[in-house]
Amino acid sequence: MISLVITEAAEAKLKVLLIDDDVELVEMLKEYLEREGITVTVAHDGEQGLSAVMSGDYGIVVLDVMMPRLNGMETLRRIRMKSPVPILMLTARGDDTDRIIGLELGADDYVAKPCSPRELTARIRAILRRTQVASLHGGSSQYLEVGELRMWPLQRRAECHGVALQLTSTEFNLLEILVRHAGQSVSKKSLSERGLGRPLARFDRSIDVHMSKIRNKLGTLADGRSYIYTDYRQGYRFIKG
Amino acid sequence: MGRLFWKFFIFIWLAQLTTIWGVGSAIWLIRHNESRNLSGVDTSRPASYFVEAAASTLQYGGAAALKNLIKTGSRHPVYVVDEEGHDILDRPVDGATVETMLLAIKNGPPPQTIRQVSASGHTYTLFVPETTGSSNGFFLNRFGSNASGFPQRPQVHLFPVVPVVTATLASLIFASLLAWYFSKPIRNLRSAFESAAAGNLNVSLISIMGKRRDDLADLGRDFDHMAGKLRGLIESQRRLLHDISHELRSPLARLQAAIGLLRQHPGNLESSMERIERECVRMDRLVGELLTLSKLEAGVTGSMQQTANFSELLEDIVTDARFEAKAQGKAVEVTGRCHAAIQGNIELLHHAIENVVRNAVKYAPINSSIIIELWEDPGICALGIAILDEGPGVPETELDLIFEPFYRGSSTEMRTDGYGLGLAIAYRAIKAHGGSIRAINRKTRGLRIEMLIPTLP
Repeated sequence: MISLVITEAAEAKLKVLLIDDDVELVEMLKEYLEREGITVTVAHDGEQGLSAVMSGDYGIVVLDVMMPRLNGMETLRRIRMKSPVPILMLTARGDDTDRIIGLELGADDYVAKPCSPRELTARIRAILRRTQVASLHGGSSQYLEVGELRMWPLQRRAECHGVALQLTSTEFNLLEILVRHAGQSVSKKSLSERGLGRPLARFDRSIDVHMSKIRNKLGTLADGRSYIYTDYRQGYRFIKG
Repeated sequence: MGRLFWKFFIFIWLAQLTTIWGVGSAIWLIRHNESRNLSGVDTSRPASYFVEAAASTLQYGGAAALKNLIKTGSRHPVYVVDEEGHDILDRPVDGATVETMLLAIKNGPPPQTIRQVSASGHTYTLFVPETTGSSNGFFLNRFGSNASGFPQRPQVHLFPVVPVVTATLASLIFASLLAWYFSKPIRNLRSAFESAAAGNLNVSLISIMGKRRDDLADLGRDFDHMAGKLRGLIESQRRLLHDISHELRSPLARLQAAIGLLRQHPGNLESSMERIERECVRMDRLVGELLTLSKLEAGVTGSMQQTANFSELLEDIVTDARFEAKAQGKAVEVTGRCHAAIQGNIELLHHAIENVVRNAVKYAPINSSIIIELWEDPGICALGIAILDEGPGVPETELDLIFEPFYRGSSTEMRTDGYGLGLAIAYRAIKAHGGSIRAINRKTRGLRIEMLIPTLP
């Protein structure tokens, strides 16, 4: 799945799929983003959005989770079942449950709505930038290895015990950072800045949610411990050896 | 144990104590008097049998036979005295005892333990004098015997201590049981109220009170009912708040997007300004509708004394609706007529009917017509107005929900302009005027909203 994104990422680098039921808002955002040099496709409900994801190749999907009918969360779940495309969700300001559920369901990050188009663009760029790196170096076979885990950052591919890991783009970024500093503690602040491309907000639990998902996907070490250790108040540490 | 328990307990116990001591004292007094009147006479039941037997012997066997009988001895020796107060066996007799006995006989029918028998020219009085151990069960009589063996008058009548103490202890138990029985449900109620005050309305008193069937259990049931209602109310308020914040967010998001566009490309000043203005108007309208709704919910309807002719009111609405419908390629038809006068807040009624009509225009397909039916019902002093469209209708299960704020049909195809407040306002406004409103799906296609509005006679 991940390799699919890499090969197509070059042309999809600035393609955004915008899924929101507010027609006027979507039009304005589209106008704004296009002036910023980003190609935008719009969908006005979950079903449309889902079929667009399936048919097109997008660098990122921006999804409003507060939609009626096939609601945002359900759309998110279904997209994630079929595609590892980065997903940025729009959530209501102050609604933490939505955020955590969204991240659990595999969203990469969130932006509180209403937000300024400038903030949205910055967030989209941050996520796109991280995926673009891969396309520029496509085909390189340099890899990182710690214990049973092997990662090809340029191809955005990872294996554990020889089994390919299905990681979302954000999960991959975060794991890569930890692996590069294996044995050392990496603070949540630094993980947020380098992995999510934004400063850590107060009471932000995104990193924790992502970490628990990565842990689930990695499984445990031979002695039953998790690969990723939580250093209380310090951050997270990838256990070396 | 709460204060109430102790109050109940003390009052119940005091009442029981008073009763016990009262009854005890009364019985003691009666016995005391009786024993004073007949002091020295055994009044127990066995004594009466012996007296009876002795009386029969005397009557039919004569004095000699009686003497023989008495000599055989018994636990209850029967004394037989003649008029002079001498015993026929010449046993010593307490003169005072005989006197009180005779007095008792003279005053009324003699007790069973005293008999007077006439035989061989003498009138004998038969009785059994009191002895130690012949206590009659309730009173503790201490009896002093003198040297002659004949019992003397009892000197002390002690208060019945053992029964009174037993009764007092029993009353202690029953008083606390009764107090507990009353105070427990009240304590349950109290804790339920406390948790309700703390915001937890998920208390069920019925499950705590179990099978109890009385006024207190009814109170518990009422509490549960109230808590349920409050829960529903709070839930709906919470949902309303959530919906409002969501609805306010949309125009805000559009405002921010418009401002962002303007920043990015200051050349488009005019069109961006227009957009911003449009969003401001929308928010203003939303806030206005919310205010109307909250006023209606709070029962603040303003003056309800205005009167108007219904046909004039409707004409206004129809003219506007026709204009709007024509622009969308739809038509509005009116059938029937109604010239009744109505009373109330005319502006509110106007608003209510207009909302329903505009709603119909909005959902009607192009090239269809919206029908407004009018009729009068002089019988119940009301007028009827039905608005019919050929739109998608509403699923049967959601027919009641369309009058809820922010309801949007699950089958709504497009995102429509509006907030889902129109019908909610109409519903409350019509209700405030004592009318009724309901929605039904048409047999063919579309929705029929029917209103009954009271008229002036």
